[in-house]
Amino acid sequence: MPVLKFQLDYLLNRIGVHDAELLRDILFRLKCETDILEDGQIEVEVNPDRPDMYSVEGIRRAVLGLLGREKGWRTPRLSGTGLNLSAEKVETRPYILAAVVYNVNIEDEEDLKYIIQFQEKLHDTIGRRRRKIAIGFHDLEKLPGKRIEYKYLPVASTEFIPLGGDTPSSAAEILEETEQGVKYGRISLGEEGKHPFLLADGEVIAMPPVINSNITRVEVGTRHLFIDVTGTDLSTVSKVLDIIVSNLAERPDASVGTLYVDTPYYRGLSPRLETRKMTLSAEYASKALGYYTTPQTLAHLLETMRYKIDSILPHGVRVIVPPYRADIIGEIDLVEDVAIAIGYDALYPRYRVIPTRGSYLTSTEIARSVRILMVGLGFTEVLQLVLTSPTLLTLMGLDYVRVENPVQQEYSVLRPSLVPGLLSVLRENQHVSKPVKVFEIGDTITPVDGTISENMKLAAAVMDVEVSMELIQAPIYTLLRILDIPFEVETVCPAPYAIKGRCGSLKTPDGSDLGFFGEIHPSVLERLGIEYPVAFAELNLEAISSWKSRTRNLE
Amino acid sequence: MTSKSNNKKVPVSESEFRVLKKAESIGWKGPSSIEEASRLLKEPRSSLESIFRLLRDKGLARVRERTRLKPVLTERGLEALEKGLPEEHLIRLLGRAGGALSLREVKERLGKLAGVAIGQAVKSGLIRVSEGRVELVKPLEEALNHVEKLRDVLKAIQRGESIEPPQEVVKRGLVRLEREKETIVELVSEPSVLLGKVSLEVARLTHELLKSGGWRGVVLRSYNIKAEPPKVYPARIHFLTEFIEMLRDIMKEMGFKEAKGPLVEAELFNFDLLFQPQDHPAREIHDTLRVEQKYSLPGISREPELLNRVAEVHRRGWGYEWDPRISLRLVLRSQTTAVSARVLVQRPRPPIRVFTIGRVFRSDVVDATHLPEFHQLDGIEGDYDYTFRDLLGTLQEISSRLGFRVKFKPAYFPFTEPSVEGYVQLPNGRWIELFGAGMMRPEVLEMAGVDYPVGAWGFGIERLAAAYYGLPDIRLLYTRDLRRIWESKKR
Repeated sequence: MPVLKFQLDYLLNRIGVHDAELLRDILFRLKCETDILEDGQIEVEVNPDRPDMYSVEGIRRAVLGLLGREKGWRTPRLSGTGLNLSAEKVETRPYILAAVVYNVNIEDEEDLKYIIQFQEKLHDTIGRRRRKIAIGFHDLEKLPGKRIEYKYLPVASTEFIPLGGDTPSSAAEILEETEQGVKYGRISLGEEGKHPFLLADGEVIAMPPVINSNITRVEVGTRHLFIDVTGTDLSTVSKVLDIIVSNLAERPDASVGTLYVDTPYYRGLSPRLETRKMTLSAEYASKALGYYTTPQTLAHLLETMRYKIDSILPHGVRVIVPPYRADIIGEIDLVEDVAIAIGYDALYPRYRVIPTRGSYLTSTEIARSVRILMVGLGFTEVLQLVLTSPTLLTLMGLDYVRVENPVQQEYSVLRPSLVPGLLSVLRENQHVSKPVKVFEIGDTITPVDGTISENMKLAAAVMDVEVSMELIQAPIYTLLRILDIPFEVETVCPAPYAIKGRCGSLKTPDGSDLGFFGEIHPSVLERLGIEYPVAFAELNLEAISSWKSRTRNLE
Repeated sequence: MTSKSNNKKVPVSESEFRVLKKAESIGWKGPSSIEEASRLLKEPRSSLESIFRLLRDKGLARVRERTRLKPVLTERGLEALEKGLPEEHLIRLLGRAGGALSLREVKERLGKLAGVAIGQAVKSGLIRVSEGRVELVKPLEEALNHVEKLRDVLKAIQRGESIEPPQEVVKRGLVRLEREKETIVELVSEPSVLLGKVSLEVARLTHELLKSGGWRGVVLRSYNIKAEPPKVYPARIHFLTEFIEMLRDIMKEMGFKEAKGPLVEAELFNFDLLFQPQDHPAREIHDTLRVEQKYSLPGISREPELLNRVAEVHRRGWGYEWDPRISLRLVLRSQTTAVSARVLVQRPRPPIRVFTIGRVFRSDVVDATHLPEFHQLDGIEGDYDYTFRDLLGTLQEISSRLGFRVKFKPAYFPFTEPSVEGYVQLPNGRWIELFGAGMMRPEVLEMAGVDYPVGAWGFGIERLAAAYYGLPDIRLLYTRDLRRIWESKKR
């Protein structure tokens, strides 16, 4: 989740709230967790549904609304810029829109830092790390000309000074040699060595989504911003530009400059600053929340959430959704804002007793019975992870399903059996007084003919100075008899890690596998560093469960 | 009655009783030195002394110390034992010579021993020396017998027996007398009399004593009640299981029916049905664990109507062409809400209340607060007139059954609206997130084909369990150290 960092004093001043606790309370109600750090900074965790709150202006707007100090949003003053944007067909990154915001007036380093933070958080979230969307900020007064072009050019023959550099290099070099080039250089690079570029009067001002040119560099003292947004999805490009422009236009003297855009997919003015009208019915809101609302109360509550009221209808309210709200898909999204404006606690939660009967799964009931019986038989329960290391499984000759993208080798495959985990536990407990008796009940995952079979199993093991197979047979047979599962013993041994002739399997009378038992082969114990013999058993609880339900049905 | 008569008797331990019995059988009463008593009673000296002191404390024996002179062999005495006494050599020499030899010959044969040998033999009246001749005055047998007696004395002293040595051996410098402390033990009366006054005290009541009725004649010794017994460990249910089962009980008591679903899950249930667009960051390779794609899931729903609805809702909501192949990719489920999705596509008849508890998986590096897999509890409930306020009520009820007062915070999840998170305060003052919840979005319900509102929530279990048991590190929940399981405290 995006976490923004601000100097607390700076943020309080800019918002005009002078009580940090009040600010934190209001932000909590706006889904944001906050943390005040020791160095006087505040961390604000904003949910990814509210990219409009990634900047100081957006936070200010939302907070003042909920505080009741401001309503609706400020419609920016629009004027022409004389800039034209044309785009040719750029295969790898087709869409671009742009805008100007006048009188942004970047005051100091702090201010600049938060504008860049805004840009970066948009990149990381809605921009999908610049793959879907990338944003370029330019100093308007440094633009080489008014003719802006978006072109698909060969990187070998296109030159510019990358941001932070001082001499021109070829784009090919920039892709290889700059940090941004290495990180983002492959996103929009076409097969024939072509890449999208943004030019002003023929001079490169950006190579989206990688890096800007140094000539339009934004710094402290920059007054007006030229903003480009490129991407792979037009509606997202448009929405992100609307968010940026709406937020920056909240600054005291700011106004918005429009461009005429002429592209294969859109011809018209940019930014589009799209608003939508939506109707919320009072009945719908009341039914969804369990809280009685009227058109009037809805209008009031939604204004504090900074919607504009188009009209109050007899059955509901018609609102104008601000252009910066990316998260309003349907009526239910307005309902949530109504709930936030009321305050969740003020909705008076009520526990309604619904006449349903609770029940457990058969597998839960069997697991519970087995667990208690195993403890009664002197075994202690252990719990291990399903994700495990392949080393032990391979050593024991087991087949398993791999994770395609593991984070750590130790947790890179799925356990097909609970026995390896029990051995890992026993290895760590060789110093305790013998015998050591353990069991686990849990899910296992086995590859079976190209499909995946999941089973809940029970495994038990006994480690002692000397063991005989009876030490495991006796409790397991007792367990099965108490569970009333008839079984037959076969000399077949499905466990490759058991001693031959000291291993057997268990089947139901109708031939389905119940499990197996035996003694662990000394070569396996030696490799594991276990110096005491171990007898083990593994039962398939799903088989027990299904036998139970089969026989129950017969009765 | 029995106990009363026993009270008059003196309780004695099994070893004290045994000593009295032995004394009775050999008719010993003492006084004797402890060494002697040890020999007579066939008890090791070391324990016998303490037994007598215990008997003394009970008024049954006397123990005193006295100083005595103890004979000890000198070096000369030792040599005499080894090589024979000088007069013995002389007597044997004379015997071989027919009873007499010249003094010169004796001196020649015995060397420097001759003087001592002649002197001693004369003193003991065994020989006579006259006119340069040495002559036996007693028959050879008798003379040797005399010497043998002296040797027996020396041997006895060497064995450490406390005998009174004859003056002769002391004077001759074969034996020296040393002062030594000696423990003298003695019973206060005849052992048979004492046995009548005592009763046997035993450490354990045994099957034998019960069967024979012998328990009537014994006293059970009092324990040192304050002594620490040895440590024992019970076979136990794992504490994390106990916590999970407690959650199950709460859900069942509230009327919820349990469900389950697979760990290896199709993205359809883990993401698509939960209205997460196919380019959602959570679905990326570094956020969700996938299994090798060579496998397929048995029985996955390819119901065309369902897939059409999913495609349509995604197209309308997110504005992209939905790809059914992506929805069939296999992942390790990242949320148990996948099970709730499976339940909803069955279109159960309302009112519904369903819960599931199971493992979920994340691409997290393991540390004190992260595990690559953990348990979640997911619940859904729904009915035609079910509301967000009812959901908050249920969440408050679950929290209070867990012993918490919950604080609600608006939140964001792709598949719920309105969404809420529950925070609770631990006894140490720290706030932790207890659950995420919300009303299933209309898009989710439309894809599933459900026509009534549904509330949903998910609890992460491990962090809560770690807080519940006061564990500083979440990894301790999956400890391999059995003592941690055996010693874990009930909360």
